Amino acid sequence: MTNLAMWARLKSPWVIHFNSGACNGCDIEVVALLTPRYDVERFGIKLEPSPRHADVLLVTGSVTKQCADRLKRIYDQMPQPKFVVAIGACACSGGVFQGTYGTLGGVDKVLPVNAYIPGCPPRPEAIIDGVVKLLNALAAPPAPPKASEEEAATEAPAEEVTEVPAETAPDAPEEVKKDAE
Amino acid sequence: MPSNGIDILKILEDKLQNKPVQIVPGTLGTAAIITKSGSHRDVFQILVDADEKTAVVSITGIDLGENLGVYYHVRTSNALLTIQIEVPKANPTLASVNDITPSAAFHELEVTDLIGAVFEGNPSSGHFVLPDTWPEGVYPLRKDVNACEVKLDPPAAEEKSDDGKLVKIVIGPQHPALLEPEKFVVLVEGETVREVRPRIGYVHRGIEKASESRTYLQDVYLVERICGICNSCHACAFVESVEKILKLEVPPRAKYLRTIILELNRLHSHLLTLGHAGLEIGYETLFQYFWRDREPIMDITEILTGNRVISSSMTVGGVRRDLKETDIPKVKAVLSGLKKRLPFYVKVYREEPTIGLRMQKVGTLKRENALKLGVVGPVARGSGVDIDVRKDAPYEAYGEIPFKVITYDAGDTWARMNVRMDEVEESINIIEYALDHLPEGPFRVRAPRVVPAGEVVNRVEAPRGELFYYVKSNGTAFPDRVKVRTPTFANIPAFLTTAVGEPLADVPPNFVSLDPCFSCTDR
Repeated sequence: MTNLAMWARLKSPWVIHFNSGACNGCDIEVVALLTPRYDVERFGIKLEPSPRHADVLLVTGSVTKQCADRLKRIYDQMPQPKFVVAIGACACSGGVFQGTYGTLGGVDKVLPVNAYIPGCPPRPEAIIDGVVKLLNALAAPPAPPKASEEEAATEAPAEEVTEVPAETAPDAPEEVKKDAE
Repeated sequence: MPSNGIDILKILEDKLQNKPVQIVPGTLGTAAIITKSGSHRDVFQILVDADEKTAVVSITGIDLGENLGVYYHVRTSNALLTIQIEVPKANPTLASVNDITPSAAFHELEVTDLIGAVFEGNPSSGHFVLPDTWPEGVYPLRKDVNACEVKLDPPAAEEKSDDGKLVKIVIGPQHPALLEPEKFVVLVEGETVREVRPRIGYVHRGIEKASESRTYLQDVYLVERICGICNSCHACAFVESVEKILKLEVPPRAKYLRTIILELNRLHSHLLTLGHAGLEIGYETLFQYFWRDREPIMDITEILTGNRVISSSMTVGGVRRDLKETDIPKVKAVLSGLKKRLPFYVKVYREEPTIGLRMQKVGTLKRENALKLGVVGPVARGSGVDIDVRKDAPYEAYGEIPFKVITYDAGDTWARMNVRMDEVEESINIIEYALDHLPEGPFRVRAPRVVPAGEVVNRVEAPRGELFYYVKSNGTAFPDRVKVRTPTFANIPAFLTTAVGEPLADVPPNFVSLDPCFSCTDR
C-alpha cells in the first residue's frame, strides 16, 4: 500500500501554490508552467486549489508578518507526507526584502523547506527542474514518509537548483542583498 | 497638454485671495499649494466645482521632525497639484476631504495607519495595511520608529459577528480565484451581494520605509520588485523622478528604448489579464490561448533586457542595455505574428456569446461614479473617462509617437476588457513605430550617486493605470521619502461599489476586470 501511494505521488504530485508576500514575478512563472509552452501536466503535476488534497506546497515570496500564520495553517492542513518548495530568491532567503519591517525572511523561518529554487524570478525551466529533482530524491530511498521528509530537509542544499543562466540573473539585486545583510 | 480651457491656477488665485493659501507654480507637479488644516477643504471645494476630473491621486504622509506633512496630490483634467499641510506631531489631526471627493477615502486611511495623521470625518476601524495584531501607536513611516523590531502576537480567533440575515462569505487570503493573498468578506442575501469588506495588507513588506535606507541605485531594483508584472513601469517612474531632481537629460535613444520596454510590459500584462478573465468565467481554452501567445512577448523582453520577467533594464541616466541592430527583425517578427492572431481574439471578446453573457452589464461603473472615485487606467477608460498619462503628460518618447487613447462608454466588465484588447494593438503599433524611428547615439549617460536636495512628483501610465511616485531627496545618496501610489489601490473602491446588488457569481469577472495586483496595492 505504501509503495502504491509513493508510486502515485511520484507519477502525479498535486501541488498547491501560495504567495506569502511575493511581487507576482514568481507567481506568473508558476502559472506559466501550466500553459502550453511548459505544460507541467506532462509530469502529472497538477495545480490543486485546496491544501487538503495537495502533496507539495510551492511557496513564492518572502513571508510577510501578516501571512506567516496563514502559511503555517495551510501547511498544517496538508496531509502527510508533505513537501515544501521555496521558489525564488525571496522565498529562499528574503531576497531583496531582507530587513524590511513587514517581512520575516525566507520560508524556512516558518516551515521546513525541502527544495530551494533561486532566481528572481526563476525561469519556468528551473522550477520544473527543481520539482523533478525533488521527486527523484523521493524516489531514491523508499523510506517511511516521516523520515523521508526530514532527510529531504537536511539534504536540501544539495538539491538546490543552480542552473539559472548567468545572463538572466541580474547582478544588481545581489548588490542590494549584500547591502541588506 | 490637452487644453479644455480650464486654467485651474487662475481660478484658485481669484477665489482664494483672502485665505491663508500660498500658490507656488512649477513645484511638485503643476503647482504646490501651501495651506493650513481647514483651508484645504476650501481648496478642494473649488477644485471639485471647477473641474469634473478632480480626484485625489495620492496622499503622502511625511515625517518633518516636529511636524507631520500631509501632501494631497490632486489630479485635474490638465494639472497635477500638491496641497501641502503641516500638522504638529503632538496633535496630528486635520479635517477629512472624504465628503468633498470620495477618492480621498482610501488614501486617508493608509496615511492614518502608516504615519499616524488622524483625519476627522474618516474614522479608521482597525488597521488598514498593517497586520491586525500590530501594536497601536507604532507608525512605521516615522523616522524615530524602528518597525523591524516589532514582534507580533499570534492573531486572535476571528470574532463571530452577527450580520442578521446576511451570510458572510470569506474569499481569501488563500483562494483558488486569487493568485495573491488578500481577503474580501462578501456579505450576501440569498444570491445577491450586499456589501464587500476588503482586508488588504497581506503583501505589505514595507518597501517605502526600506527605500530610505538604500541608495538611489539600489532602490531602482527594490521598487522594481513592488510588482513583478509592471516592474519596468515602477523602475521607470522612479528613475524619472531621480532624473528630475538631478535635472539630468536622458539621451533620445534611451527614451525610445524605455518606451519599447514599457509597452512590452503593457502587452504581456494585458495578455495575462485577458487570459485570466477567461479562466474566471470558466473559459479555460481562452486562458491557454492567451498565455501561449504571451510567451513570445516574454522572449522579446528577454532579447531586449536579458530577463523574462523582472527586466532590470532601467537605470538613472538611461537603460542598462542597448538593442542590437540584428535583434530588431526578431522583435518585429514576433510582433507581426501576434498581430496576425489579434483579429481572432478581438472577435472572441466582441462577439463570443459566453463572454457577452458573463461580462456585459456586469459591474457597471457609470461615468460620474468613475470620476468621483478617481479610478484610473482601463477601468476609467472603460467608463468613458479619457485619462491616460501617456497623452495627458507625455513622458519618455510618447510625445513623439502617434497612438489613440481607447475609451468605451458602457462601463461594464466587457468594456474594461475590450479597452485592454484594443490597447494590445495600440501597444504593438507603438513598439513598431519606436523601432522604425529609433534614434542613434548613446543609450545612457553617467549619473552622480549623490542627489541634491529636492522633491518631485512623477506619473507614468502602467498597464493598470496611472502610477504615481513622490520622491524627496535630502542631499545624500539615500532618499528621504519615497511614496508610491499604485493603480490598483485607486481602483479597488470601484469594485467595492459595483459588486453590490449583483449576484455572487458575477464577483469573479467583475473583480478580475480591474486587473487587481495586490503586491502593488500593499507595497
